[in-house]
Amino acid sequence: MASRGRLTFALLGLFLTAAQVSAQATGTVIGRVLDASTQQPLVAASVSIGDRGALSDEAGRFTIRGVPAGAQTVHATLIGYAETNRGVTVTAGQTTNVDITMETQALQLAALVVTGYGTQKAGNISGAVKQLSTEQFQTGRIVSPEQLIQSKVAGVQVVDNNEPGGGLSIRIRGATSINASSDPLYVIDGVPIGSAGAGLSAGRNPLNFLNPEDIESITVLKDASAAAIYGANAANGVVIVTTKSGKRGIGIEYTGSVSGSWITKTPDMLNATQYKAAVQQYAPQNLNQLKNENTDWLGLVSQVATGQEHNIAFTSAAEDMNYRLSLGYQSQDGVIKGTTTERLSAALSYDQRLFNDRLLVKSNLKASRNYDLFTPGGVLSNATQMGPTQPVYDATTRSGYYDWPGGIQSPDNPIAILNLAKDEGTTLRSLGNLQAQYAFPFIDGLKATVNAGYDITKATRKTFTPSLLHSQVKTGDGGNTYRRDDTSQNILLDAYLNYAAPLQYLPGNIDVTAGYSYSQQHGDYPWFRETGLSTDLLGNYGYPSARQMQNYLWVEDSKLISFFGRANYNLNDRYLLAASLRYDGSSRFGPENAWGLFPSVSVGWRISQESFLQGINAISDLKLRGSWGVTGNQAFANYQQYTNYVVGDAQTQVQFGNEFVTTIRPGAADPNIKWEETTSFDIGIDYALFNNKVSGALDFYQKKTDDMIFTVPVAAGTNLSNYMTTNIGSMKNKGLEFSLSAKLLQGGKDGLSWTADFNAGHNANELTTINPFGGGSQRILTGLVSGGVGTYIQVFEPGQPINSFFVYEHKLEGGKPIYKDTNGDGNINEKDLYVDQNGDGNVNVDDRVAKYNPLPDWILGHSSYINYGKFDFNYTLRAYLGAYVYNNVASNLGTYAEVGRGSPYNLHASVLETKFTQPQYLSDYYVEDASFLRMDNLTIGYSFEYAGKPLRLYGTVQNAFTLTGYSGVDPTAGLNGLDNNRYPRARTFAAGLNVRF
Amino acid sequence: MSSRTQRALAVAAAVLGMAVAGCTDTVTEPKSTLTETNVFDDVNSYKAFLAKVYAGLAVTGQQGAAGNADIQGIDEGFSQYLRLYWEAQELPTDEAVIGWGDVGLPEMNTQMWASSNSFVVAMYYRIFFQVGMANEFLRQTTDAKLDARGVSTALKATIKTYRAEARFLRALAYWHGIDLFGSIPLVTDEDQLGSTPPAQATRTELYNYVVSELTAIKGDLPAGSGFYGRATKGAAAMLLAKVYMNAAVYTGTAKWTEAMAAVNEVIASGYTLDTRYRHLFEADNNTSPEIIFPITQDGTKTQTWGGMTFLIHASLGGSMNGADYGVDGTWWGLRLKQQAYNLFDPTDKRRAFFYTSGQSVDVTSIGDWSKGIAAPKFTNKTSTGANGSHATHPDTDFPVFRLGDAYLMYAELFLRGGGGTQTQALNYVNALRQRAFGDASKNITATELTLDFILAERGRELLRVAHRRNDLVRFGKFTGGSYIWAFKGGVAAGKSTETFRDLYPLPANELVANPNLKQNTGY
Repeated sequence: MASRGRLTFALLGLFLTAAQVSAQATGTVIGRVLDASTQQPLVAASVSIGDRGALSDEAGRFTIRGVPAGAQTVHATLIGYAETNRGVTVTAGQTTNVDITMETQALQLAALVVTGYGTQKAGNISGAVKQLSTEQFQTGRIVSPEQLIQSKVAGVQVVDNNEPGGGLSIRIRGATSINASSDPLYVIDGVPIGSAGAGLSAGRNPLNFLNPEDIESITVLKDASAAAIYGANAANGVVIVTTKSGKRGIGIEYTGSVSGSWITKTPDMLNATQYKAAVQQYAPQNLNQLKNENTDWLGLVSQVATGQEHNIAFTSAAEDMNYRLSLGYQSQDGVIKGTTTERLSAALSYDQRLFNDRLLVKSNLKASRNYDLFTPGGVLSNATQMGPTQPVYDATTRSGYYDWPGGIQSPDNPIAILNLAKDEGTTLRSLGNLQAQYAFPFIDGLKATVNAGYDITKATRKTFTPSLLHSQVKTGDGGNTYRRDDTSQNILLDAYLNYAAPLQYLPGNIDVTAGYSYSQQHGDYPWFRETGLSTDLLGNYGYPSARQMQNYLWVEDSKLISFFGRANYNLNDRYLLAASLRYDGSSRFGPENAWGLFPSVSVGWRISQESFLQGINAISDLKLRGSWGVTGNQAFANYQQYTNYVVGDAQTQVQFGNEFVTTIRPGAADPNIKWEETTSFDIGIDYALFNNKVSGALDFYQKKTDDMIFTVPVAAGTNLSNYMTTNIGSMKNKGLEFSLSAKLLQGGKDGLSWTADFNAGHNANELTTINPFGGGSQRILTGLVSGGVGTYIQVFEPGQPINSFFVYEHKLEGGKPIYKDTNGDGNINEKDLYVDQNGDGNVNVDDRVAKYNPLPDWILGHSSYINYGKFDFNYTLRAYLGAYVYNNVASNLGTYAEVGRGSPYNLHASVLETKFTQPQYLSDYYVEDASFLRMDNLTIGYSFEYAGKPLRLYGTVQNAFTLTGYSGVDPTAGLNGLDNNRYPRARTFAAGLNVRF
Repeated sequence: MSSRTQRALAVAAAVLGMAVAGCTDTVTEPKSTLTETNVFDDVNSYKAFLAKVYAGLAVTGQQGAAGNADIQGIDEGFSQYLRLYWEAQELPTDEAVIGWGDVGLPEMNTQMWASSNSFVVAMYYRIFFQVGMANEFLRQTTDAKLDARGVSTALKATIKTYRAEARFLRALAYWHGIDLFGSIPLVTDEDQLGSTPPAQATRTELYNYVVSELTAIKGDLPAGSGFYGRATKGAAAMLLAKVYMNAAVYTGTAKWTEAMAAVNEVIASGYTLDTRYRHLFEADNNTSPEIIFPITQDGTKTQTWGGMTFLIHASLGGSMNGADYGVDGTWWGLRLKQQAYNLFDPTDKRRAFFYTSGQSVDVTSIGDWSKGIAAPKFTNKTSTGANGSHATHPDTDFPVFRLGDAYLMYAELFLRGGGGTQTQALNYVNALRQRAFGDASKNITATELTLDFILAERGRELLRVAHRRNDLVRFGKFTGGSYIWAFKGGVAAGKSTETFRDLYPLPANELVANPNLKQNTGY
């Protein structure tokens, strides 16, 4: 490592020499730069006297030494503020104090944006970055932090699964990987917590440990120049979460709300009359099983869900310190019975300035307990499959619930599962860091930062299925219980130096950062399962004897060690240049590829500063920027480089004579496995028009991912399994993003104000190669769906977007799928129904075509923020265009064959139109255009004072409406567009109160 | 540089230096699995590794009944070796039809498969999984490696037997490969692990390799009792007999005499016919004196969703009660095509288990369970009527090779000119028929001993034990129009099929992964 160390110091010396000064008949000017209206300190203002200059620090302070004695003009510039000049008389050998106040010109340019290992003025950023703060966040019942930015950032897709706080994923500019994670890296208060799910959880989403009420801002680093400082973790972009810290003059703040949620739609199944008719016609042998009830199974498992939330924060700030302590409680039920999520959270932020503000110590501590109760598996699917003619209860059975007589070929009573089975998870997580930033006294602008962080989680998931449930009786499995106790302990240490100053003999300012980072992760994942319980009485809380017990333990460690550096150069806020370099070593990489280098460069040109645009008043600001960079993805499993001998369990033994022998199996491995590498280009424009009333950005980007971690078929005989995980294949994403924020009305304090934000993102994904050595087109099936065993509906195929639906083209007649013996061979089969694409007279897998992409072509978002007097009003609309969803409820149950099982299954109403008597799982009939327009939320608030305390009351509707042509339950069917008994979407009404004491 | 700056630099250097010195070692090693460097520190690992080569035939991964799968790209339960092999040898013939609509499965009933049919693909990869495991076992147990690890002389002697067993299992897999796919790569322990695609060997090269391997290992294999479930000298002789028997198909050159010699060796190995035919297919069939080589299953210790779990459950449906067969449910899958049903005399005890209630004889629909007679040949009940140890996963073993087959092979080889005597051939055939009918009333005479009779008798004696496709190909009746059965060629009445379908296609993805491969003719 010696050579790396020398290089770092050589760089350090280079920029430090520029700061040397000599003092002869000169004086020193010190002072503060303040905002004229708020009197708040302004950071990073460029202050100069003649050819000597400085940048203001966090407290707005600046020091300029060696100023020739006499009358001088202090010149201050800061992006977003008007240039300011102030006269000062400098006395030799003396220090003169002068404060400078600056007038706002364009606030959006002056905003401080949190970036990797630092902050930057929005107007000076040459990468594609978007920061949102509290007032722009989504409103209503927000369980997961990711939801805060849903529909708010162009090119960012936030996906949930409709359960409260469930199934959250983010895609920034599309997916870059197939077998590694495509989720972004999350950084919370400077602590990177990983990308693949961002940690451990026994609940619905690892990030649910973070109370959204504690979040001050979220910054999304979209392009490589912004993200590359995070190297091997940055290929999917970076989401930086900054939590609130103490502010002066607030004291105690309470926010609270209550809510009620209603189910919006359930699958369209046959009613009792239709069901009975179907059984009569297609499975008369089953007619004697039918009863005469009229049971609405889906209605019985759903409920009006209530929720509540209470947050209280104590804040204070003095000259040299501030703190914020917050406590939060949230509880939210789901619209399907048996679903709850509950969070108890505490957060402490404490900042202290010491030694004349030279040392700034910032600390953050968060701890939470999340409890998740899950609707037991099978409740939703059985509620669709259970015959509406059958009763809920049956006094003659052991469980007291009615069960079909048809054994393994019959649905289970969903109410019995709901009431007797249990599935719950408890997650305790704490995340904290202590950061010390020291400004060196000898060299203005040089700071050292050391940041130490930890992330500890204990997650327990318990499921219990009693023996008297039909599902256990019909399979002979008996009762079972399962418990997982996962723990992880991660630590982080960062150390870096930052030097920001005007260049001494050249024009312009530089801002250079260089540092080292060490992080290590440790996890223990034991689980225990019993099947064939001797008694049901202990439930989730004990282990009686059982027919079979299984134990498993997985322990893993990983490390990531990094060196990183970045240099920004800013010439007169007009020409901007940034470059970064990261060198990452990871325990996940094979010995020959242990270290990876990730460079990036970006340039920005604020054309509006050029004289030729000065005359055009309509243009307030115009910046052209371009970036290039290489980022990596190491969010894949540990130990892939080792040929692991996996020890078989007690149920995979082999008989040798009279003895049973436990086996060991070596696995296929690529000893040279390494990161995925994404090379990105971005060209963008930031604009502000009409006196900054309209502003926004336009970006075009292209990302090419090579060495993709991909589990691919390998030539038989070359390795120890037929698939191997290796760096192979490549993928491309290209797209267009547009955002616009318009201050349509600016009515002042009591008048009508209206700000409207629009964003649009288009992304085109293409899997370019799977196996570069292969001659033909290789396909890998994916997208396992219900219906049959091993039915895959999607494909990875070069030239197509990933997860494209891979289907037969159903012949149509009068717009309906054909279902008859068209070729007269005596039965209805594939040859009658589907297009013979290759014309070989046979219809088989070779005639399936990859078409229809589950990912939207366009994602559009619109938010309006309206104020009138004491009222505020805002709403968010979202639209997906060109996304397709496979209606698996229809494909699985839309066939009369299902009533001919041991006991008749209820059918999806599509069968009334299709008349399918055999399932047609692979028909493109079930792939539907799921474009939609949705009002994500609508909020009305009223602010007033009561007993001298500011109060705000508000009401919110979430999912106010959804307009779509999709026939299933919800057009937002996850990332992959598979709608198989998805949790129904709720419409939520919430009312809340904010008050400050 | 001023002294102040130097001090500043010193502080900076200290901060950074401390951090850098902290750690630049990125290595972490697995703790919950073993690697090549430590797995053989435990001398039991050799036996455990050999057991995995056997387990590749019996289970699907390292967790029972499913989990941590051996191969990917197919549902784990579907990926079990025996299940795939059974389906490949039985479904496209006159003996079986499976009613499920799982993608790719219907075509297996009709010979209409494509090169990306997942059952065909998974069979191919299962064969090479076995080859890969055996090769790696052999690479890890060379004398040089054993010496380097300081293995004792006694253990080295045991490992010598293990190595012969691994080579037997590899030869078995290659035999299945030659038989089902024809010309495939020949990869041995001489080749190193890596990603260089291997060359395609001709069917003759593979045939010669299997013959030479079986000949070479014979002396090292165990014999006698106490080796149930393992590859014995008798098992190797039987496999060699099977390979010779089909030499004309594989290489164009018949080896009837060599086959007869191997069959005689099997017959002389001490196996005896089970007195009860049914016992061969019951939960305690491990006690049968007739079984030469089984794939073992155990309800509690050897669990899979393929194998006997599949064969027993899938053969049950309709009004049948799983409990009558010692299992917990019925899967409504497998029935007989009428052509196989019609081979049986009503008094033949080998059809005593047929279930006809609610079933029609003619298969007029693949998907309708009631079309076709059910034939639950295997059961999870023991010979005394007790249940197996687990209601889902049977204890019943699958008899891969057994003496009854060797008897019929003798008779066939006699008729084909492989030597032997007519008297002996009749004795062997009639021994089976006396067991089947309870007395000598249905014994055949010399004039009745014809090749057509042998094929039909094999259909009766060896119904549904994964020999049928192999037999029909050898008799020239699997494809073409000389023998038509229901749904052959995809139509209910059956029709002639192209002869190239005597072989399965190489997997479409494999042709991409290995550019050296040439697809079988016709596909």
